[in-house]
Amino acid sequence: MDFSWLSDPFYQGYLWEGFVNTLWLLLVSAVGGLLLAVGVALARLRGPRPLAWFTWAFTTVIRGTPLLVQLFFFYYGVGRLLEGVPGIRESVLWPLLRDPFFFGALTFILSVGAYSGEVIRGAMQSVPRGELEAGRAFGLSSFQVLIRLWLPRALQLCLPTLTGEMILLLKSIPLVSTIALMDLLQAANIIRDETFLVYEPLMLIAGIYLATTVVLTLMLRLVELNFPGMRPTRRRWLPISGSGA
Amino acid sequence: MTSSLNAAFPDRTTTAPAVVAHQLIKHFGDLEVLKGVSLEVAEGTVTSIIGASGSGKSTLLRCMNLLERPDQGELTIADEAIRFIRDPEGNITGLDRHQLQRLRAKVTMVFQQFNLWPHLTVLGNVIEAPMRVKGLSRRRATALGEHYLERVGMADRRDAYPAFLSGGQQQRVAIARALAMEPRLLLFDEPTSALDPERVNEVLGVIRGLADEGRTMLLVTHEMHFAREVSDQLVYLDQGRIAASGTPEAVFEDPRCSQFVAPAA
Repeated sequence: MDFSWLSDPFYQGYLWEGFVNTLWLLLVSAVGGLLLAVGVALARLRGPRPLAWFTWAFTTVIRGTPLLVQLFFFYYGVGRLLEGVPGIRESVLWPLLRDPFFFGALTFILSVGAYSGEVIRGAMQSVPRGELEAGRAFGLSSFQVLIRLWLPRALQLCLPTLTGEMILLLKSIPLVSTIALMDLLQAANIIRDETFLVYEPLMLIAGIYLATTVVLTLMLRLVELNFPGMRPTRRRWLPISGSGA
Repeated sequence: MTSSLNAAFPDRTTTAPAVVAHQLIKHFGDLEVLKGVSLEVAEGTVTSIIGASGSGKSTLLRCMNLLERPDQGELTIADEAIRFIRDPEGNITGLDRHQLQRLRAKVTMVFQQFNLWPHLTVLGNVIEAPMRVKGLSRRRATALGEHYLERVGMADRRDAYPAFLSGGQQQRVAIARALAMEPRLLLFDEPTSALDPERVNEVLGVIRGLADEGRTMLLVTHEMHFAREVSDQLVYLDQGRIAASGTPEAVFEDPRCSQFVAPAA
């Protein structure tokens, strides 16, 4: 095992940039994706028929095609098409539209929106009707029922599943190395190409992913445990089941 | 706290009934659940609706805050005639949403399954509607909420979440939640049917106390003994029609319902 390249400031720089980009992509895609997911869930449950149908089609297409294909489709397909639009190079959006980060984030936001949208829809459907009826019976408006009762309750129900979705998202991010975005895998590829070492850089970034996953899991677990109204039996710090808890 | 207690009865001087229902008809698909039911609940009195399962009791009760929309009939709640939207044949097809929300603030409900909001604390459950619907400040709503939690004996659990409470405790919180809106009329939909037998009395005790205070209440219940004891008016519903109504004594002695009430009484 040869880790001497680790002391090279250039490689340190690549790895750091890759790590920061990975975290940014995770944050942007998680926040944007979950907001989209709420919209998707609502459109499917309560939207007018054409919107509900469109959302169903969106979900089916996104969930039915490989993420890598979508990434290529947006970056090489849509991205190249946009280049041909007259005047777009002068528009204020141009720096964004030629940035692989933008296409990576867009792809992941759509993906999280589709997958988590279905999770949230299921959770919303399993909130007991009586709780929402109680809201109506006390004079709350439909919007108040949604914001104060329905969504928080659905979130409470599907938080563990969403945690899983976020971890899957983190580990989808290396796909962006294929569209020339400096993420951790791209950094490892550069190091491999220049040092002819295959395993060492891969092992290092695998370790970084593992550590990030553990930290992310614990953070989301903290959110779960502190979510208002959690049942006492579920208040276990480590998500490991077993007797004597 | 006495001032807020008096505020609970803003209309004690009026003599108009809290609710007047006239010839309510309600279908679920082909099934006619209410076949022209008329009902009046006088201010400051307790009315209990009794009858077998499927007789339409809960449907009738749920028409009183329009959780169920009747298909035909007239309804006056808290001195306000409900503005139904009707088709040319007189069938009710819609409601005035703003009027509905205003009236629901005056007619609150206690459910069989409690229906507390599990992500809110006990106090949070009680102050939610006073704050969001009546627009009270958090401080005023909290004072009101604490008062009514005290009233049902749950003040010491104000920061607990519903999942940590027994069924009886949850139902008492649900009663405090309904009281905190200081409604003209309180509706109870089989408030003890989902409780363990040993928890029933703590809830009945609270309801009995409210009856003694002179609150206007409409109950659906299977507790015959209790209904007889607290009610000023008893309504016996049979297959969507009122088979007998009047004082509890009169109804219990009425031959049409003696078969139904005798074994339980």
